[in-house]
Amino acid sequence: MIVADLSYRELEHRLAGPGIRLRTGPVVSRIQSRLPAVVRGISLHYAEYPTEEDESFADFHVRVGRPRNVRRWLQPQAHFFVDGNLPFAPLPLDQAFPMLEWGLNWCVSAHCHQYLIFHGAVVEKSGRALILPAPPGSGKSTLCAGLVNRGWRLLSDELTLIDIASCSVVPLARPVSLKNASIDVIRAFAPGAAIGPAVHDTAKGSVAHMRAPSDSVRRGMETARPGWIVLPRYQAGVAAELTPLSKARGLMQMADNAFNYSAHGRRGFEFLVRFVDQCGCYEFAYGDLEEAGAVFDQLAARA
Amino acid sequence: MSATPALLVTAALQRPQELVAYTLRQWEDLVHQARRANVLSRIAQSLGELRLLTRVPPAPRAHLEAALVMAQAQTEAVEREVAFLRKALAAIDVDLVLLKGAAYLIAGLPAARGRVFSDVDILVPFAKLAEVEAALMLHGWTTTHQNAYDQRYYRQWMHELPPLRHNVRMTVLDVHHAILPLTARLKPDSTKLFAASRPIGDKGRLRVLCPADMVLHSATHLFHNDDLSQGLRDLADLDSLLRHFGSERGFWEDLPRRAAELDLARPLYYGLRYASRYMGTPVPSDTRRRADVGRPPRIAVRLMDALYDRALRPVAPSDAGSLTPLSRHALYVRAHWLRMPPLLLAWHLGVKALRREEVTAQ
Amino acid sequence: MLWRAVPDDALAWREWDGEVVVFNRQTGSTHLLGELAGEVLRRLMAADRGATVETLAAGLTADPSEGDDAGWTAAIAEVLSEFARLGLAQPDTS
Repeated sequence: MIVADLSYRELEHRLAGPGIRLRTGPVVSRIQSRLPAVVRGISLHYAEYPTEEDESFADFHVRVGRPRNVRRWLQPQAHFFVDGNLPFAPLPLDQAFPMLEWGLNWCVSAHCHQYLIFHGAVVEKSGRALILPAPPGSGKSTLCAGLVNRGWRLLSDELTLIDIASCSVVPLARPVSLKNASIDVIRAFAPGAAIGPAVHDTAKGSVAHMRAPSDSVRRGMETARPGWIVLPRYQAGVAAELTPLSKARGLMQMADNAFNYSAHGRRGFEFLVRFVDQCGCYEFAYGDLEEAGAVFDQLAARA
Repeated sequence: MSATPALLVTAALQRPQELVAYTLRQWEDLVHQARRANVLSRIAQSLGELRLLTRVPPAPRAHLEAALVMAQAQTEAVEREVAFLRKALAAIDVDLVLLKGAAYLIAGLPAARGRVFSDVDILVPFAKLAEVEAALMLHGWTTTHQNAYDQRYYRQWMHELPPLRHNVRMTVLDVHHAILPLTARLKPDSTKLFAASRPIGDKGRLRVLCPADMVLHSATHLFHNDDLSQGLRDLADLDSLLRHFGSERGFWEDLPRRAAELDLARPLYYGLRYASRYMGTPVPSDTRRRADVGRPPRIAVRLMDALYDRALRPVAPSDAGSLTPLSRHALYVRAHWLRMPPLLLAWHLGVKALRREEVTAQ
Repeated sequence: MLWRAVPDDALAWREWDGEVVVFNRQTGSTHLLGELAGEVLRRLMAADRGATVETLAAGLTADPSEGDDAGWTAAIAEVLSEFARLGLAQPDTS
């Protein structure tokens, strides 16, 4: 069953009660919320995602809600609960859906240590993963959104999960978060893409989410082989240029952008060496999404 | 005594072999409760030692394996910290007594296996405190709690320096000169603790408390109301220590006597009470009887029982977000981040403030 | 002054085109070493009884007849001091 099989009313009812068990790749999250923004967001972004039956195993129990005391009237706030705990400070109520997204990312990055988890976007073509590790503000989400609207499959826009045993990249396809100017850029670049309402004044400015392409959702359990590690840098007016990066530097970039690399100790290092060894490493400067897409298509074709 | 509350987690800790028969729903409840109580890795460790991990369904097994990764990482981090600590204090004429998790680990005790670690705790003589602090700061540790009020609070009233954080490694070190605050009613004499402490193999000036003292120190955590969310983990520690040392000659006979000597009769009473109640720790009746001398008035015991039941009880779905003041105070959760810069994480996730310290549900 | 690298079993490393990435179990840190630093570390690891800046310099100089090249010595000394800071090597003070 998928979320769209439920009527809006049923979805609302379930979320307010026992919750829905939403599958996103290898992760199942039991989500509960009475907040309209969250119900709307789930209805829009997760329509095609599977919901598991009650006999399944939910990896996380999350709830986005409001405090049950006087504060709820004075200062409308949303709280994110995981297993009854509050790992974050509350946010204004209108940021409830982004909060769900951030919270779900937190759950994975904080607990899924069976994987090596890196901060970065990852997309796939021809069975190979293109990893875009990047510090905040490097434009990776915009590039990611652009690529998945030009034939690349979305694995994740935020967390790259790598399975050590199989040396493969594991998908976690969820809505792509867009910030500030990127929102309009992608609206123009991909008029057919479903982008939710923008939420303003967050810590990152204005934020909106783009629904993951259906193909990415349908193939949500399909892993990818090591392909490329590319450090993107957006600069207006710049011609697209792919410059080879040494593997040693590629490895350091991955380590620098990792959530739990250190936790895996020596085993993590030895694995990362094996992984990077199989990747082409590059730096990438670009000023135009269409041009960027063409460059990566060429890269994929050469593979 | 009333019936032991049926806790999924304590059952799993005591009888891990039964877990292979669990349904997915039972696994789900267990993983969530055990993680919340910080004993998931301990359960995973037990299953691993019994070679039963492969019989756990894949979905919950991933969580067990993830917990083991973290526990192993923390083990290595503690080993590293202790090595750095020894180097930093090598030039000072001081005996370092490791406390709690670090002690269990370096001394090779079963209590360390699969355990979640956070800070490193050490005990040094009060007279050496200034020298130790100076040496640590020279080697890159800096005090936290910069404001004058906090500094005085720690130094004057507590039993430790304000926690020290290492500039590069970001690890936290707690330097104690006593095991309870100076303001506490109970006054265990540190000199006696040092006198009875034992060296650790070939580790130079590193020492651990003697078995009875280690047990009593562990029990004082249960008595100290502040951090009851670690209650189950501390109980698991205590249970492990009691079972391990219980086989040592004279241990059970010695325990009540030593408790009286250190003014820790009350913690011993509670320690034995809750270890046997929740963990099924086998305690000889003679020791129980002699430990009864530390029992407080009946009403205090009932209150403590209720507090404990509440604190160790799993959070039911409907409870989340509407906890009563009592358990709100009791459920103090600290997230542990191993070598992950919290600011980086917070920025990445676009959330203004990632609270790692005390969080309370409203 | 004699320098020693950390024990063999504490390090794991990989070289790609002259650059070396190395993991040090003692610190849990991962480092990127350029050509010179990588070579110094490799020689230090191979020297069972440690090595001095001079012996390292002598081993690296292309032309042995050049004698003591102050440039090499200074560069290696800097590398070693960085190694000390990172925990990859220590001067032997025994």
